[in-house]
Amino acid sequence: MSFRDAKSTVEVEDLRREFKVKEGRVLALDGVDLKVREGEVFGVLGPNGAGKTTMIRILSTLLLPSSGSARVMGWDVAKQPEKVRPLISTASGAERAGYDYITARGNLWFFSQLYGLSSKLANERIEEFSEMLGLTDYLDKKFYTLSTGYRQRVTVVRAFINDPKVVFLDEPTIGLDVMTALKIREFLVKQAKDSGRTILLATHNMSEVDAICNRVGIIDRGKILACDTPMALKRSLGAPALVMEMMPAPDSASLEPLSKVDGVKGFTSSIDEERGIGRVQVVVDSDASAQEAIDFAKKSGMNLISNWRQQTTLEEVFVALVGRGFREREHESPS
Amino acid sequence: MNPRASIWLKTVYARTWVRTKSIYGEPLWVAVNVGFPFFTSLALSLLYSSVGLRSGIGFAFLGGVMVSFWGNVLWSMASQFNWDKQQGLFELYITSPAPISAILIGMSLGGILGTAPSAITLAIVGWVLFAPPANPLWPLVALTFALTLASLYAMGMALSSLYLVYGREADSVNEALHEPVSFLSGVYFPASLAFPPALQAIALVIPLAVGMDALQRTLFSLNSSGVADLSLVYRDILLLAIMGIILLFAASKALRILEEKGRRAGTIAVRLR
Repeated sequence: MSFRDAKSTVEVEDLRREFKVKEGRVLALDGVDLKVREGEVFGVLGPNGAGKTTMIRILSTLLLPSSGSARVMGWDVAKQPEKVRPLISTASGAERAGYDYITARGNLWFFSQLYGLSSKLANERIEEFSEMLGLTDYLDKKFYTLSTGYRQRVTVVRAFINDPKVVFLDEPTIGLDVMTALKIREFLVKQAKDSGRTILLATHNMSEVDAICNRVGIIDRGKILACDTPMALKRSLGAPALVMEMMPAPDSASLEPLSKVDGVKGFTSSIDEERGIGRVQVVVDSDASAQEAIDFAKKSGMNLISNWRQQTTLEEVFVALVGRGFREREHESPS
Repeated sequence: MNPRASIWLKTVYARTWVRTKSIYGEPLWVAVNVGFPFFTSLALSLLYSSVGLRSGIGFAFLGGVMVSFWGNVLWSMASQFNWDKQQGLFELYITSPAPISAILIGMSLGGILGTAPSAITLAIVGWVLFAPPANPLWPLVALTFALTLASLYAMGMALSSLYLVYGREADSVNEALHEPVSFLSGVYFPASLAFPPALQAIALVIPLAVGMDALQRTLFSLNSSGVADLSLVYRDILLLAIMGIILLFAASKALRILEEKGRRAGTIAVRLR
């Protein structure tokens, strides 16, 4: 399905948001431009602190931008929140939004009333969505007795119960088991495809973006660095990534010169504690550059125990754009 | 029906339902809520009986009834709103088309319905066990009782906005208000007979104090001649109505201002991770 001709449901122009903190000011969003189309699952991918949640909060009318504009279904989120709110909904993987002593069904009915739904329609939607998410058997259990996975299913049903045109989801599958995450992803794709809803998904889960997003915007330090389909972004790197395993794991200082090797666009490293080895993923622009990176590791005295090439992932796209992986980026202080 | 009015009414009903259901979902809480005011009223009634002041028994039980509602306003109304915020419910209210006033009124009605069994039990037990002397003017009793609850819960709504600004730190406001307000309101004794005029005048800014005075006058004909002084009752009714309107207006205005302030400062949502 092509979204090129679909109308834009979310339009963001030069969006900036600053926060006052003890140390001064933090720029959470720094001139974001974005267009998301009807029926699209759009991923906003970035490490923690990249500005994903801030953007979702502005779009869902919880936060005012410092400058720039954001429109949902044509309405200005800052100036016309009352027009935007009936058309949207939000859900977060971190939320535990529900009343403990009320059943899952009762909680869902309650939220439906905030949108003025008739009880009949609300109950129909509760049944339908719960069936799709495997929640039916748990609908009459009190909210506090539900496991994290089932509470999250309630949250997802809640986010769709008002038949929203645009749904903002912030890490909706964080901390969930594989099966629950899979169920939720299937549900989201179906909702976008069958009902033409726009789903804007903020996440740092690359496999999730790969699996369900039609397009993805890669965000870092408040800026959208690239925006395209996951496939196009991965193809843009050209050569497959290089993976090197070393024992013992090299420290980050000794790896630093690797970024200066000709043709190396960036790298990210991790340590396999169990096996006591370090793994370095290097984004290279050609096979020759990959060989140069291997030579560098050997010349630097690192004990290279294996190396191979692998298909590029979205993390490597991020590495190519920023020079470092998600984890390293989260630990770096903003310059 | 106008869609906005429909959302408002449905939200009030749904929030009332959730509040009531939640209260009755905690049997221990119900037992505590019903039992605790009873013991204080019982002790005071025995004290009044032992000194031969039977007229005081009515004050003791009326005080128990009204303290149940006052406690509900402080601890289950204002602080409940803070709990909603901590749980991430407040941001769901804000991003929905439902007005916050409907949520607060639903919480108030739910609180009243949740506290009613305790209050009714206490009133019946007091009546059956002690049969306190009373000369009730029922229509005025009902009116003053309704107005007292309305202004008390409007005060609860205004206090809710404090919680939005100060979070759990506002608990200390509840602590600070609970006992002094109960005392100044004369919940277990007639303040209009016990307090000097200056203190009575100060207490007139407290909805509970005005409500207690009106209820004591209309239920027990509080007056040396044994006939209720209706001019004072009407004064109390007028004061309660004015306070209720002012507090409702203040709460609604404060919440609107705080929502805008929260959107600017980024304090509506609580970051949960």
